Amino acid sequence: MTPDGAAYSGEVEMVSTRTVDGSLGIKANHEPLMAMLNPAELRLHVDDSEVVSFAQGEGYLQMANNQALLLVEEATPIADLKLDDLNAKLEEATTRLEASEDGSAAHDLAERDIHRIQRFIEIAEAQT
Amino acid sequence: MASQKDTANRIGSVKNIQKITSAMQMVAAARLRRAEQRIQALRPYADTIETMTRTAAAAAGSIPDLPILNPHEEVNNVGLLLMAGDRGLAGSFNTQIIRSGVAARQEEIDEGRDVTLFAVGRRIDSSLNFRDMEPSRAFTGFTDRPEYHNAREIATELIAQYIDGKVDQVDIVYNSYLSPLTQVVTRQRILPLAEAQILHGGLSDDDDAESLDEQHEMVEGETEPLWDYEPAPEELLKRLIPDFVEITIYRALLESAASEMGAKMTAMRSASDNASEMIKNLTLEMNRQRQAAITQEILEVVGGAEGL
Repeated sequence: MTPDGAAYSGEVEMVSTRTVDGSLGIKANHEPLMAMLNPAELRLHVDDSEVVSFAQGEGYLQMANNQALLLVEEATPIADLKLDDLNAKLEEATTRLEASEDGSAAHDLAERDIHRIQRFIEIAEAQT
Repeated sequence: MASQKDTANRIGSVKNIQKITSAMQMVAAARLRRAEQRIQALRPYADTIETMTRTAAAAAGSIPDLPILNPHEEVNNVGLLLMAGDRGLAGSFNTQIIRSGVAARQEEIDEGRDVTLFAVGRRIDSSLNFRDMEPSRAFTGFTDRPEYHNAREIATELIAQYIDGKVDQVDIVYNSYLSPLTQVVTRQRILPLAEAQILHGGLSDDDDAESLDEQHEMVEGETEPLWDYEPAPEELLKRLIPDFVEITIYRALLESAASEMGAKMTAMRSASDNASEMIKNLTLEMNRQRQAAITQEILEVVGGAEGL
């Protein structure tokens, strides 16, 4: 789920993503969990052969009663990632980082953005 | 008096304007629908963040002591975020915000407080500059299609100013969306964030939220003792709570965008109606001129015949 609505909804065998503490895979009957997610590739294993992948921004995961609910601020289907766009965004964020003072809020925001965009670029590159 | 030809020309140009305004009306209507959908789409996300926060707060036993939750002892500097559009041609959409923002600023100044202004939308920025009330930061270029990271940028800036003690309170002034015809200028406190708002549903503004809560409580009731947290609930809350500010701003941005489209649609409809009215009057005028010209010619012919 993203602020712009549901990105994916359905039954899957396994959800794999990355929390602040490391990679995480969740299957059925996992114990109730609430976790904080870092930007990563989100893989939804629908069954053995089919995997739906998203590039996922920061967010949260809640697993209860065999329902995994992921709240992320953005989820882009991997196929829609565009390297050119990402590189342009990275450049823009880097300029912002350099323009902002150390320790200021703008600095932190730029760092967060850069971190996310770099992850997305890695994901996009792994695809090609 | 204008000649028949001049009037015909005017009719032509008014017709052109009408074409433009009715096209703009249609574009606004389509965008309005999209903006409405986005407001709808945010609801489940906001509600879930809220219930998650409540669950985590219950697990942590208390809400951690975050600076954005603490009211400052004295309110000496009030931050006002005025939110409207990048573009004009939307009736009183932008001016309403400017007017009530400037009035709110004056009120605070009368009570002896300083005011720091923030602007969202190019129109607001330029109007404030024109009045010599330069905003401390202007966010522009996205008001017709705001995205979540825009809200985060604004929230981060406001939170930083609040934590650094540059402002002691932050309010937003924006057009909240009721229907395409009605927008209401709303002033909403966003910082300090009230604990009550977190625990008793500040993000969802009405009754539907209750059923979601109940659902969630059911889930909670069954599984509460087993929740696993990664990281600890206190850490989770540190990130969840600022999200409230982001979501509040994001909702305001979306509502403001929908209001802008509604106002634009209404403004363009009245412009088109006006143009029809004008075309009608001008056509009447042109016919009158034509008849006058014909009468004149007949009179000349008759007068000439009599002269013979």
